[in-house]
Amino acid sequence: VAAPRAAARRILASLSGAAVLAATVTACSSAPSAAPVAPAASSGGQTVVTISGGVCGRGWAHPHTGLQTFQLHNTSSGVAEVYLINPLEGSIDPDSASAPVFAEVEDIGPGTTAPMQVNVGSGAYAFDCDVQHYGTTIGPIVRIPGAAHGTPGVLSVTFNDLIGSPGNPLAPASQYLAYVASGVTQLVRQTAVLAADVHAGDLSAARRAWLTAHLTYERLGAAYGTFGHFDTEIDGRADGLAGGVRSPHFTGFYRVEYGLWHGQPQAAVAGPADQLRHDAVELHAALPHLQLILSDLGLRTHEILENALQFQLTGHDDYGSGTTLATTAANIAGTVELLKVLHPLLVTRDRVLPQTYFWLDRLQRLVMAARHPNGAWTPAGQLGTSRREQIDAAAGQALELLASVATIFEAEKQL
Amino acid sequence: VSAEQESRAAGTAGGTEPGRRSFLRGTLGAGLAGAAVGAAGGIAAGYRLHGSGSGTAGAGAAAPGAMQEGRLRPVPFHGRHQAGILPRPQKQTVVVSFDVTAQGRGQLEELLRTLTGRARFLTTGGVPPPAGISAPPPDSGVLGPVVVPDGLTVTAGVGASLFDERFGLAARRPAGLAAMGVFPNDQLDPAQCGGDLIVQLSAGSTDTVLHALRDIARHTRGGMQVRWRIDGFVSPPRPAGTPRNLMGFMDGIANPPTTSAAQMDDLVWITPAMSGGQPWAVGGSYLVVRLIRMLVEFWDRVSVTEQENLIGRRRASGAPLDGDSEFSVPDYAADPQGLVIPLTAHIRLANPRTRKSASSRILRRAYNYDRGVDAVGDLDMGLIFTCFQADIARQFEAVQKRLVDEPLTDYIFPFGGGYFLALPGVTDSSDYYGRAMLA
Repeated sequence: VAAPRAAARRILASLSGAAVLAATVTACSSAPSAAPVAPAASSGGQTVVTISGGVCGRGWAHPHTGLQTFQLHNTSSGVAEVYLINPLEGSIDPDSASAPVFAEVEDIGPGTTAPMQVNVGSGAYAFDCDVQHYGTTIGPIVRIPGAAHGTPGVLSVTFNDLIGSPGNPLAPASQYLAYVASGVTQLVRQTAVLAADVHAGDLSAARRAWLTAHLTYERLGAAYGTFGHFDTEIDGRADGLAGGVRSPHFTGFYRVEYGLWHGQPQAAVAGPADQLRHDAVELHAALPHLQLILSDLGLRTHEILENALQFQLTGHDDYGSGTTLATTAANIAGTVELLKVLHPLLVTRDRVLPQTYFWLDRLQRLVMAARHPNGAWTPAGQLGTSRREQIDAAAGQALELLASVATIFEAEKQL
Repeated sequence: VSAEQESRAAGTAGGTEPGRRSFLRGTLGAGLAGAAVGAAGGIAAGYRLHGSGSGTAGAGAAAPGAMQEGRLRPVPFHGRHQAGILPRPQKQTVVVSFDVTAQGRGQLEELLRTLTGRARFLTTGGVPPPAGISAPPPDSGVLGPVVVPDGLTVTAGVGASLFDERFGLAARRPAGLAAMGVFPNDQLDPAQCGGDLIVQLSAGSTDTVLHALRDIARHTRGGMQVRWRIDGFVSPPRPAGTPRNLMGFMDGIANPPTTSAAQMDDLVWITPAMSGGQPWAVGGSYLVVRLIRMLVEFWDRVSVTEQENLIGRRRASGAPLDGDSEFSVPDYAADPQGLVIPLTAHIRLANPRTRKSASSRILRRAYNYDRGVDAVGDLDMGLIFTCFQADIARQFEAVQKRLVDEPLTDYIFPFGGGYFLALPGVTDSSDYYGRAMLA
């Protein structure tokens, strides 16, 4: 799944040539900001830009600042991806080749036209066309004078940004794999304690052990995609199973929780607890062979909390223990860990990163306030209106901000 | 001209700013064959965009009669009063009560500035500025790539709870703004009552108000959370005249004339004399919201004669029982014993039309609601009663006290709502909701 982003390398391979080969077009000055600017999209003066093998961005004859729509016409016989980039900034290191991207349109079919809307500011622009069967071409550099602000450019993230040089423990992927491996090792130990407590007939110890082990697993939120079927076995819910909580296919933490908190006899809980311990061991054994999907790092950074909002804060995943707020806290910790390993890449790209940290911290403090000194948790449904609203507000605001992380890493989804 | 006809005329004219209208007419006139084309095919051409950091503002226009569904012309946002108060009710509305989760006065100001910015953009329309590759799309896309105003009005108000210790506003609470109490026939659910802020979004179609709600909520997640919400609609005239409520009766026939500035000053707007020592509130209006369930199954099992005696009007025509037409004025003096219009009829108790009761008239704005079924399988539908006034005690509460134990209460019960102060209007692009309240 993960392969080096050839396009990124090609960008720079042709970038060096672009400055020489391409005619530089200088725009006339933009309209005064006070005057209404008729957008290309609605004035009938849309800019049609041609994309084909070897031709990229032909047709941008009258550059100007302001909101406008380029109609990207793909005349080639392959699928095209088109980026509007700043060709004069960014690294030329072939291992981390990238330039600031203002807009991107993917999957433009042969012979079709797709719109690209962008607020063009003053500065240097070029189209970067990645055409199937052909490769990447950088169009003419367009320079627009003045001081108008436009859509901000963001450096796309490359495979090499994430993976670093082989064996580099500081690269985000390596750091995250180490975090996951450590968590799964703990999981094996803690599910063994849980199973032993159940077998010993000490169900109140088992309830404490269940929470400890479950939170360890929930802190690994980013790894779900990697765990594949193991995740369903270890942390699957009863939804979608015929018979619900009575289904023989209902296994894992929630099955054990249901038994422990619904007065089921030891014998009825022992099987599921053993199965959980077994699945954790299997996961641990499989870990070296599971592939970390790099695009997951960005995507999961917001999806963990989306799931927490949907299943934990609502109380949906409460199978009796009333600890969905504890799960939420674990999910926040998992999110924060991801941000930590991605921080070096985000700090230059994500303009709302400081606010993201602020709101995650506020959310974590609000959620942790539901933990009692004796280790018990207030069930989500028993929060008073005001505390409920404070938590929902912080979760919602954090999610709005985290959405940027996934978008910034989205280029990696195409690998 | 009857009161209601005047009100309607005002509603039509109320949203029209002559300068803007002629500007738009001129825009559309060039190259387009009349207003109908402008509405149907010239949506993009009808928008003039103003390049500014806060988004691109535009406006579509055509003669109201030629309006295509979902494309009503914009209602100017800036003004001394909020624009959604005087016009007659629009087809669709959402009433949302929020609790403020912002911490401290600074964050409250930020919240109100954001709310103002979104309201300004949504009521004006235009192209949401693209976010580039560092954020998801800036707009839900529900209204298409160009946000159409569709007559959207945003009416924002504050509840008494905003003036507690959280924001240091206790000394700024006008004496006339209190929490809604319990009336004898109420069955109030606290979760559906009150709120720090109220926002009413009204427009020509459902997608327009829902788009606005999503946009506002998205931009204010950390600052406020929905406490309760209800969606409403106004039925088309059946067959003509004032729209009917879900009891089958015309609702809101009698209203003070919104064209009369003097009457609006007496009955609707908070004037310096009515501001209770809080000059910031001048230009605002007290808003009462009452969510009223109608037991429509029970009602449908009642004879039309009894229904008409409970209301005081003919169901078919809307005429008072002593009159011939919807706009006939009931003559209670000629019927002191209630032989024609019972003394306990709803319209007679609500508005006895005496010299004394004149000052208790309200600007009534009712919407129907419909939201599923109750525990016994009966339909949960009824009325979102809203009214604007200069003084809640003198007006709404006086009316409500006259209505206590009216026979109609067997068929209806209020379950939610609240008292609010609809803020003074946002006067220009640098102003924001509640600026004077926070100053």
